[in-house]
Amino acid sequence: MPLAISLTPDNPGSWTYRRFEDLYAIPREEREKLQLEAVRINFARMRNRIPALKKLADRQGVDTIDKLEDVLPVCFDHRVLKNYPIQIIEKRDFAKLTGWLDKLTTHDLTRVDLSGLTTIEQWLARLEAYGMLVTYSSGTTGKLSFVPRSYDELGPWKYHFYSVNRASSGVDAWTTKLPTFFPGYRGGYQTMLKMMSLFNVEMAGGDEHYYTLYDSHIPADLMALSGRLQSAEDRGEVMSLGLDPALLEQRQQMMAQGQNREHDMEVWFGKLIRDFKGQRVKIGGTFSDLYRVAKAGLDKGLVCQFAPGSIVEGGGGMKGYKDAPDDWEAQVQAFFGVARLGNQYGYSECIGNAPLCSHGFFHFLPYTVPLLMDEDGKALPREGVQKGRLVLVDPIPTTYWGGFTSGDEVTMHWEEDCPCGWGGPRAAKTIRRFAESEGGDDKITCAGSQQAYNEFMAFVAGEA
Amino acid sequence: MGGRSVMAGILDIPIIARGKVIMPGENAVQYQGRGGADFRQADPHRHIHDLVLGDTSRLRDLHDTPMAQIIELLVELGQRLALDDNPLLQQSFELALKAGGLAEPILRGVYDALPAMFERDALTALVEKTIGIAYLDGWVSSGGDYDGVSIRAVGTRQLHITAGNVPVVAALTIARAGLTKSDLLIKSPSNDPLTANAIARTLIGLAPDHPLTRHIAVAYWKGGDEYMDSQIIRTSRIDKITAWGGMSSVKHIQKFLTPGIDLTALNPKYSLSLIGRDTFASEAAMDEAAIGIATLAGFYNQTACANTRIVYVESDTDDDSIERVIALGRKMVAAFAKLPPLLSTPFTTPNRELEAEMAAVALEDDFYHVEGDTLTGGFIISKFNDRVEFFDKLANRVVNFVPVDDLTDVLKWCDDTSQTVGIYPESDRARVRDCFALAGVQRLVSLSGGDAMTVYANSHHMPPGSPHDGIEPMRRAVRWVVDMRPAQDEMALQIAAE
Repeated sequence: MPLAISLTPDNPGSWTYRRFEDLYAIPREEREKLQLEAVRINFARMRNRIPALKKLADRQGVDTIDKLEDVLPVCFDHRVLKNYPIQIIEKRDFAKLTGWLDKLTTHDLTRVDLSGLTTIEQWLARLEAYGMLVTYSSGTTGKLSFVPRSYDELGPWKYHFYSVNRASSGVDAWTTKLPTFFPGYRGGYQTMLKMMSLFNVEMAGGDEHYYTLYDSHIPADLMALSGRLQSAEDRGEVMSLGLDPALLEQRQQMMAQGQNREHDMEVWFGKLIRDFKGQRVKIGGTFSDLYRVAKAGLDKGLVCQFAPGSIVEGGGGMKGYKDAPDDWEAQVQAFFGVARLGNQYGYSECIGNAPLCSHGFFHFLPYTVPLLMDEDGKALPREGVQKGRLVLVDPIPTTYWGGFTSGDEVTMHWEEDCPCGWGGPRAAKTIRRFAESEGGDDKITCAGSQQAYNEFMAFVAGEA
Repeated sequence: MGGRSVMAGILDIPIIARGKVIMPGENAVQYQGRGGADFRQADPHRHIHDLVLGDTSRLRDLHDTPMAQIIELLVELGQRLALDDNPLLQQSFELALKAGGLAEPILRGVYDALPAMFERDALTALVEKTIGIAYLDGWVSSGGDYDGVSIRAVGTRQLHITAGNVPVVAALTIARAGLTKSDLLIKSPSNDPLTANAIARTLIGLAPDHPLTRHIAVAYWKGGDEYMDSQIIRTSRIDKITAWGGMSSVKHIQKFLTPGIDLTALNPKYSLSLIGRDTFASEAAMDEAAIGIATLAGFYNQTACANTRIVYVESDTDDDSIERVIALGRKMVAAFAKLPPLLSTPFTTPNRELEAEMAAVALEDDFYHVEGDTLTGGFIISKFNDRVEFFDKLANRVVNFVPVDDLTDVLKWCDDTSQTVGIYPESDRARVRDCFALAGVQRLVSLSGGDAMTVYANSHHMPPGSPHDGIEPMRRAVRWVVDMRPAQDEMALQIAAE
């Protein structure tokens, strides 16, 4: 059978320049051959150039990838991107932090100028000036995990992002710019916010068409230290952490802001809804925030009157909203007046997140290779329907290793029989986070800074 | 009526209600057990009045029973708690084994220790030391100028929300309630719904009409069952609540707590050891310290609060110094292998979560050195002055060694959650004792001895009535009532004149 498009395995980044429809249409056998070859080449290039990968591969005795499953033992656990001691953040020891990051990238970070740095935000900016595009995410513990991406990956990252958004919303942002509302922060290096600055603002048609609830963001330093800050505050030792007083002031503002968040959001959205009546718009945010707004509106008997073709692109599930009704999606659709809710699944370590199809499945594109493993770390067969821990191998990066084991339990459908018409392996919509502990409720816990972090986050999220 | 349901694998568990055994009947509710098996019980919503004591005058029978008689009965109860002779306990033992928290030889040791908890001398000393039998059996005059002022320790109505990780808690709770002449309601944990039941049923078999038996109720209901909590946790029905497991067990009942209900929250704890610089002066000292650490980290397979999880070592962080700490870690792992099975055994299934954490930091050898696994034990050496961030996940005999310049640097990590501190060498005890006590720790023990059973004995043999987690639960369990007769005339005049 002739192929509609030609792809080369030694440059999977270039696959992102192709239409997702054509990529999904590649027959499974062809695709898996390409993927194996791409992963094989990528691993061979990276194995001895990335110190952390070399160490893992040496330990596991993996030298080559002969079949896809061979890659499992050399995928980084998601914890690897935060396996530095928190102390170097507390002491803002940027030499050590840079030395740590240097082991995760092929870029030579020993030559970055670190003089004069006092905050993590400044450090991230300095790295960006050097050619890195390091973003961070903070998990349930507050510790920052840094994705060692660089400008080398920017092109494919951007093309993929436009493509996946077209797949999940039906709107091509290369040609159609929609004013966008996002009920959150703006700027900074948190992965989602950095993607906003890099891509979403341009998709909206420029800064003036991108509306956010706040015009600033929580500094990385506050995210990283919030747990320690709270316990230090309890002990009356905040000053001993040696933080910039401006940062502490900002923390107070953030917490105050959080207390008014729900009200502020309602007012902010209310104005946009009036101002953009009859226009086509795009609304983004976490589903819990979007539901909050929708519910507040519906309770007052209001619905939005945007023009047809407006889109809602959500994420983050309903965490952060307790006891949502079963029909929350229908309520969000009804309030905003949209035919569907765009959604994507992925994690920040990997470029190729998967769009949700019309039948409720997340389909992976060929430049993202999903695998499942059982609780013993053994590969589950790539056939039928399987449930296990998701591993994604991203062969696109040329400066860091893209194989990552997630903390998510995912049900994969390997047969390409989705009625939606898209090909590729697909994940069912219900995705479960493996509990932080597998030891049950009786495990010994020491509340301390974890609790403090949770309290802080609840505050800034307006939940406290 | 049998103890097992016809449905395979589902246990029938009775509600114990003041001498009555209520088996699950038509309106039984099925619950999910944790680790062990699912179980059925009569619907607790229909038995609230069997569980609580609304009328305090009904405590009079126990109030009027002399302590000697209560101790007598508890002693007899203890004699019937030998695992080999008690089918009810055997059932509870089997379930605990299935739940998988402890290996068979260790669990057997725990159950075998039950009778000893009810020995006459121990019980007598416990109540005499903490409260004083005279105060429980009658009004004790203050004597001298205050001859007219008498004090009595009066029993209370207690709810105990017990934790399932140690079966001893059920026995301890029943003994303490009896010794304080109190009315006892035990809310069983889902992962051990049987131990308290087995002990209470044994007591019913022994003395069904004794006031002590008539003041014990045991039931399971789900944490967060608002109806149950709202019905039970009222000042008209409960005086004291003891919650094992701290916040997690109190979380649900929080909204029902009001002044008048005295809450004792026994928080989850973790424990640590301190290794002084002199340890590295000789190979023999390192060996002795390693055996001490292995014992305190390894006993009960590191499932107890008192198990050492972090070892702070007075050491520099240069390569040579870290090598010495690594050597100490290796000696500890070697000592794990020699611990008697009664204390500690290798694990049969790995702890995946902890192994993933270990593997992640193992890639970072500028900061960490990792050896071993979660089957036979292991360690993570921090090459700088801080513990690993996943210290609360340390288990399966995996220990974090943290170098510090001075043992007092460890104070900043100590608070109310730091229960037991192992010390080596003994010569360091004097300089750490008071500052660690002020920081919040509750027990200082020794790593010395050079032999596992010696170290274990030295850290566990406390006199009856010793404080528990920094408090004296027995004294707190009773109501201290003051009875003031009119003073003699001349004294009254004297006070009036002042």
